[in-house]
Amino acid sequence: MSNISAGHHPRTTSERVQAFLRALRYLLDVLRARPLFAVGYGIVVGVVVLAIFAPLIAPYPPETANPVDFLQPPSWRHLLGTDATGMDIFTRIIYAPRIDLTIAIAGTAISAIVGSLIGATVGYYQEVGGVPSFFSGFVMRSADVLQAFPVFVFAIALVAIFGQSLQSIIAAIAFLNIPIYLRLMRSQVMSIRRMRFVEASYVAGTPDRYIILRHVIPNSMAPVLAQLSVNIGWSVLLTAGLSFVGAGVVAPTPEWGSMIAMGFQNIITGQWWPSVFPGIALAVTVFGFALVGASIEVLADPARRRAMAGTMRQRRTKEA
Amino acid sequence: MRVVRYIGKRMLFIGPQLFGIILVSFFLVKLIPGDPAVMMLGPLATEATLTELRNEMGLNLSLVEQFYIYIKNLVLHGDLGRSWQTTRPVTEDLFLRMPATLELITLGLILGLLIGVPLGVGAAYLKRGILAKFSDYYGLLAGALPDFWLALVLIFFFYTILGWVPPPLGRLDFFTIAPPTVTGALLIDSLLDGNWAALGSAAGHLILPVVTLGLISGGPILKMTQSTMDRMLESDYSRYEEMCGLPKSIIIRHALRNSLPSVVTIVSVLYGFLIGGAVLVEIVFSWGGAGQYAVQGVLNADINPVLGFVFFAAVLSLIIYLIVDLIYFAIDPRVRG
Repeated sequence: MSNISAGHHPRTTSERVQAFLRALRYLLDVLRARPLFAVGYGIVVGVVVLAIFAPLIAPYPPETANPVDFLQPPSWRHLLGTDATGMDIFTRIIYAPRIDLTIAIAGTAISAIVGSLIGATVGYYQEVGGVPSFFSGFVMRSADVLQAFPVFVFAIALVAIFGQSLQSIIAAIAFLNIPIYLRLMRSQVMSIRRMRFVEASYVAGTPDRYIILRHVIPNSMAPVLAQLSVNIGWSVLLTAGLSFVGAGVVAPTPEWGSMIAMGFQNIITGQWWPSVFPGIALAVTVFGFALVGASIEVLADPARRRAMAGTMRQRRTKEA
Repeated sequence: MRVVRYIGKRMLFIGPQLFGIILVSFFLVKLIPGDPAVMMLGPLATEATLTELRNEMGLNLSLVEQFYIYIKNLVLHGDLGRSWQTTRPVTEDLFLRMPATLELITLGLILGLLIGVPLGVGAAYLKRGILAKFSDYYGLLAGALPDFWLALVLIFFFYTILGWVPPPLGRLDFFTIAPPTVTGALLIDSLLDGNWAALGSAAGHLILPVVTLGLISGGPILKMTQSTMDRMLESDYSRYEEMCGLPKSIIIRHALRNSLPSVVTIVSVLYGFLIGGAVLVEIVFSWGGAGQYAVQGVLNADINPVLGFVFFAAVLSLIIYLIVDLIYFAIDPRVRG
């Protein structure tokens, strides 16, 4: 839990532990009041675990074609069937988040860090007047222009420019998301900047840089974190979309979007499994991240958090 | 009078905004590697013919000069260059393809509204009911489903298994004679022409892509309607109406009327997004729309279609936002005030 005076009176270890336990209890209360949120955390943890232990769980190698076993329907030998080249779909589905989540998390993290830093600076100086204000206005207008582009075509163009690789997909996603965090952080900072404690710190002669990093940013993180989780899900969708048109991850590498693309022709002739299963995995993952994002939103809002924790405690005392 | 002044003020910004968008996209798209001359003439062309073609296309000039020529042609002649893939002027290509995209996303959003608004109103009014739960799940799910995958699943059920719809290959059956182009929207054109065969075929081909976009865009419309209706039903005027004993239908109608501006906003945002964002659905159904044209352009270093598409999309979004402002004026007395 961020504390307004964190910089001025350092907390002892036991205080920190207590604060952590309190936060954990809030989380548990909220999860109990909204079980759907728990499902979200379950999905996210499950997908990450599957991705990490994929080599141990997967029954087949993920990128080896086996022409003899092509387009086998789901069976005990191939749980989710095989695709047109005979690769095992179950294997590839649990390998895929290694690529999809890496791209989504890295891209989103970069955009959140860069966007938040620029947004915080812009928001802090917006109303100062003079050169800083002019510069802030310029940054915002540039963000307007960037956001006026059709997202998907812009993403494909970026990948085409940087060359088709993991890094360039990450860069494209980071680039596309920067304006979101820029705006979010800016509006947060503009309201926090007017608060008493920030003014007090300014009057006390604290340097701007210190105020932004220690007071303003920590206190405006909550909506950024909520956005982060939702955005990871959205970036997975975008990555899959890019791969689906052939501008993202290239074929034998296991990735949900390109797997759906590979099964595209088969679905019309009736072999549904090569496309349907990766799509379900993709949707469930995005669903999970959206739920985690929604739960962070509740946790970060003190009023809603207390209301939820309160009803849980009442119920508990009633039961006792 | 306020309307005119307001729109006049908006118009002032349109020019610079469009210029900024073209400027950025021009230099960005020029960075895409690949030599159009080599792409056009193939790998066997001699260096001399390549140089000749490059000179003809103005590729030997500096980027700034090329940009100047591009802008000049656009402003003076409305010329957006040629696509080397279709060998036709980009403007003509886009006038052919944009209506296909617009017809698709307009119908998709109408379906989205038909799904999202009633569900949102119901969920806001009956907070604890099954409807509210269903709306919750639906909103989350619609945001999580990849549209191109949903399209494939629908094709599997309704084409492959049930055979209720035509194959996902374009906007008309192969042997149906297309109506003469008036608006470019096939439904309207075939009605004007009285060509019932084309009307039926076009409608059949539209069903699945429209349902796909409608189901996906219904999610955000639902969420927006629900949260705004929630606020409106909690507000003082709704409570007062309730205390006075007015019937439910009137209370809901008044709250809905006050929620309309946010519904209009979300629809306009979705519309702007879908002009390019419907491209995956277009590809699945071989729709031949504008988004697909642009994506083909990027993938084949054919830059004029990409720039032309970005320009068209920007102009269309600006027009949509302008229409939205006019709608605000019409439905919200607070803006007029």
